[in-house]
Amino acid sequence: MTGKATPKLTADRTEFVLVSFEGPDAYSRAGGLGVRVTQLAQALAGLGYPTHLIFVGSPELPGQEQQMDGRLHLYRWCQWISRYYPRGVYEGENEKLYDFNETVPDFVTGQVARRAMEAGRVLVVMAEEWHTAHAICETSDRLWLAGLRSHALLVWNANNTMGFDRINWGRLGYVTTLTTVSRYMKHVMWGRGVNPIVIPNGISPEALQPPNPRHVAALRRAVADSGGQVLLVKVGRFDPDKRWLMAIDSVALLKGQGLSPRLVMRGGIEPHEYEVLGRAQAAGLRVMPVHLDGTPSAARLAEVMKAHPEVDVFNLKFFVPGPLLRALYRAADAVLANSGIEPFGLVGLEVMGAGGVAITGATGEDYAVGYHNAIVLETDDPREIAHHVRALAGDAGLCERLRHNGHETALRFSWPNVIATMLDRLEFIAELQGLSWPQGRALSPEAAGELKEAAAALEEGR
Amino acid sequence: MAQHLVVYTVVHQPRRLKLPAQPIPRGAVPRDIERCLFDERMNRRYFEKVARTCYHPATDLFLRLADRELKLCIGFSLSFLRQAEMWDEKLLAKFHRLVSHPNVELINVEPYHSFLFYVDIDAFWRRMQATGEYLKRTFGLRRAPAVTDTTEMFMSNDIYFALVRAGFRGALMDGRPWVLGWRQPSYLYHYTKDLYLLTRHYQLSDDVGYRFSNRSWGLWPLFADTYATWVSQASGDLVTVGWDYETFGEHHWKETGIFEFMEALPAELARRGVRALTASEAIELLMPKSHHLPVPAFPTTWAGEGGVEFFLGNPAQQAIFQLMHHVYHKALLTQDPAVIDLAMWLLQSDNLHLIQWFGRSGAQAEVSAYFTPREWWRLGPYGIIHELQQVYRNFLTAMDAYLTREVRYRPGEEPPWYGSSRRRWPRPELPPVELPAAPAAATGTEGRREAAAAVNPGPRRPRSPGQRRRA
Repeated sequence: MTGKATPKLTADRTEFVLVSFEGPDAYSRAGGLGVRVTQLAQALAGLGYPTHLIFVGSPELPGQEQQMDGRLHLYRWCQWISRYYPRGVYEGENEKLYDFNETVPDFVTGQVARRAMEAGRVLVVMAEEWHTAHAICETSDRLWLAGLRSHALLVWNANNTMGFDRINWGRLGYVTTLTTVSRYMKHVMWGRGVNPIVIPNGISPEALQPPNPRHVAALRRAVADSGGQVLLVKVGRFDPDKRWLMAIDSVALLKGQGLSPRLVMRGGIEPHEYEVLGRAQAAGLRVMPVHLDGTPSAARLAEVMKAHPEVDVFNLKFFVPGPLLRALYRAADAVLANSGIEPFGLVGLEVMGAGGVAITGATGEDYAVGYHNAIVLETDDPREIAHHVRALAGDAGLCERLRHNGHETALRFSWPNVIATMLDRLEFIAELQGLSWPQGRALSPEAAGELKEAAAALEEGR
Repeated sequence: MAQHLVVYTVVHQPRRLKLPAQPIPRGAVPRDIERCLFDERMNRRYFEKVARTCYHPATDLFLRLADRELKLCIGFSLSFLRQAEMWDEKLLAKFHRLVSHPNVELINVEPYHSFLFYVDIDAFWRRMQATGEYLKRTFGLRRAPAVTDTTEMFMSNDIYFALVRAGFRGALMDGRPWVLGWRQPSYLYHYTKDLYLLTRHYQLSDDVGYRFSNRSWGLWPLFADTYATWVSQASGDLVTVGWDYETFGEHHWKETGIFEFMEALPAELARRGVRALTASEAIELLMPKSHHLPVPAFPTTWAGEGGVEFFLGNPAQQAIFQLMHHVYHKALLTQDPAVIDLAMWLLQSDNLHLIQWFGRSGAQAEVSAYFTPREWWRLGPYGIIHELQQVYRNFLTAMDAYLTREVRYRPGEEPPWYGSSRRRWPRPELPPVELPAAPAAATGTEGRREAAAAVNPGPRRPRSPGQRRRA
């Protein structure tokens, strides 16, 4: 058999650049994207790949930072603009977007690509979400002008459908290989005339750690001691797509059916919250906002729950740290990850990782198989949730099976496993794009000139 | 027959705007507003290109020619000087050598290459005067320049008197037939005896400035002997030619023979008895027989057909011109020197020049389209116009915060995250436009006269060529 050998994107021959608006800083986290790129970058660096993460970072932190023995390089972009918009990554979005588009391509070409290719490594540039679509196109053009394009894999990934109407799909699909996180998203994007390759999201090793059993027990005891019979949890932005109203209605239904449910919920700062609280009030549910100062813990939350047996819905108004969140997932009879439109559904997977039972929607959660490792909803009818919760409450064997299988599933989606899949896909993309391996060669005078210019641009200030 | 020649050349690079327009964060400090308004990356790219093709080789050429007794007048825009300070110190040093050469006279030029004279004539004369002092300091001269040019050689009645008030001895203007009427450009003129006018011979100037490399021109190729003959045969006392410095190596590439042409010119002129003079020397020499010239109410310029329509002839230019008024006057309201400085840069005539092509065709439109940055063209003609206007609109909105005291940081304060090693656009050294002063100093004619006298010692004494050489 003859044929061109597929290049091996090993750690010594490959360098990654992740380009995203969101990132690891608290300032830069607005949703799942920040979690995804942070964990992906850390996982890649952990596997030995030199990794660069460019994101709209906190103005208070250093512009550049190295972590993990210098393998992970963080670049906080647009800091001079972020200074004027202290409330987070998407405040001053247009201003940041302009600056990002104008400066990132030169930086990637002139700084990162040049060095990587001089060292004989290929560059994999992975850009995330609509904010980066123009920048990745420009990056491709500049790499091409510098004579470096054939040594780079350019990938643009869609985590969400937001901003799809602002993307030049024809150009983007021509200069990069498109990827997305689920088959649902693939179908959505087919409608845009492109066919992305699915590379799923992953979860961090921490998300697979079993929660502290004492914390879990404390929460369960708090529910029982306050007369509750069922503990439900829901976490997500207050967005209608997350089907908060369906969740509230299902709690009301269960209450009406005498199950005495308790819902612990944590939303975002979005105005839909007031609609959700209004619906709860109309349904006769008592809602209590919970503020915990200092470091919130399961014990303190349990105390609050125990002290308020009359409350149906505990609305957490504090940042929930990872250990407490995992304890809640594990302690709950079910976690309502019931989104109506979900590109991937990271929460469902994290619930599985914590050994919980997830009730997911039926869109992007490719990992969820109904009654095998999760409950998968088929409708937006609250009676469906109530039906499944009653079934879970009455069948300990089913619960155990779901928890076990769910955890097994989550293990398969740990970042190292996902990256192994991703590398397979990237090698296929390399074949599609006709990747040629750099030899650490001297650049042509033209390419050197372009790169000098790009470096000067960086020096000038981004 | 003309026995004297004044060669004047002006060095200028515009401070190009950033297109598409970058949104400006609310409450941004001037330093950050500046980042949003101007495309320094592009400016640097163009600057370095022109420095390579023109500034370095042409300056070497003129240094050699000055050694061979060719007298030269040279003017610099502040816009150019600052770019040279930032990006090419060697070039600046070379220009210092040229300016300090006894055969070279430094001409004062409107610093921002702006339309300030149209927007605020009072600020214009003060700015012109301050520029003289700035140039004196910058080039280490004993005296500030005595002869001046304006933006794009604009001259009109009010500009003339503003220059008189600023204390200049002479000024350059374009010798267009519609201004001169029955007169020839090849004489020294005056309107009042306070300010003498060197009228540029636009035809002889354009033979080199525009037509030199044009192969479809009937008189191509032009050689130094022919040109020297034309100069010597011009009727009158002196021929004043004015060129963009970029004529040498940029507008006409090296391969066209422009450098060889200039190398040969001094000898050919000498052979025909034509003596090169600096502008001041020409004024000294010909002052006794200078002729009266009514200065036009409508300005003349060396650009295009010589009238203001080159800059204000289409609706897009007129819209930008209105926005220039708005940004300038609103900047005055902020009373913040750094904000006013930014508004001054937005008044650059280049912002009108670069859209002269809009709705037009023909040679002039082609020239202005040639000067329009190629990076802008991907926006399309209408996109360029829209985004250019948007730059002004963004700046207008950004100034709101200054007028409602919502600026987050003290004006002029630099955010701490700028690396200290990073070179930056220097702060303006020129004094800002004076704001309406305290009532005692500003009200009344007498008060204004006193204030003017304090900064304007009056017309300079004529200097002899010998004095000039010693300087």
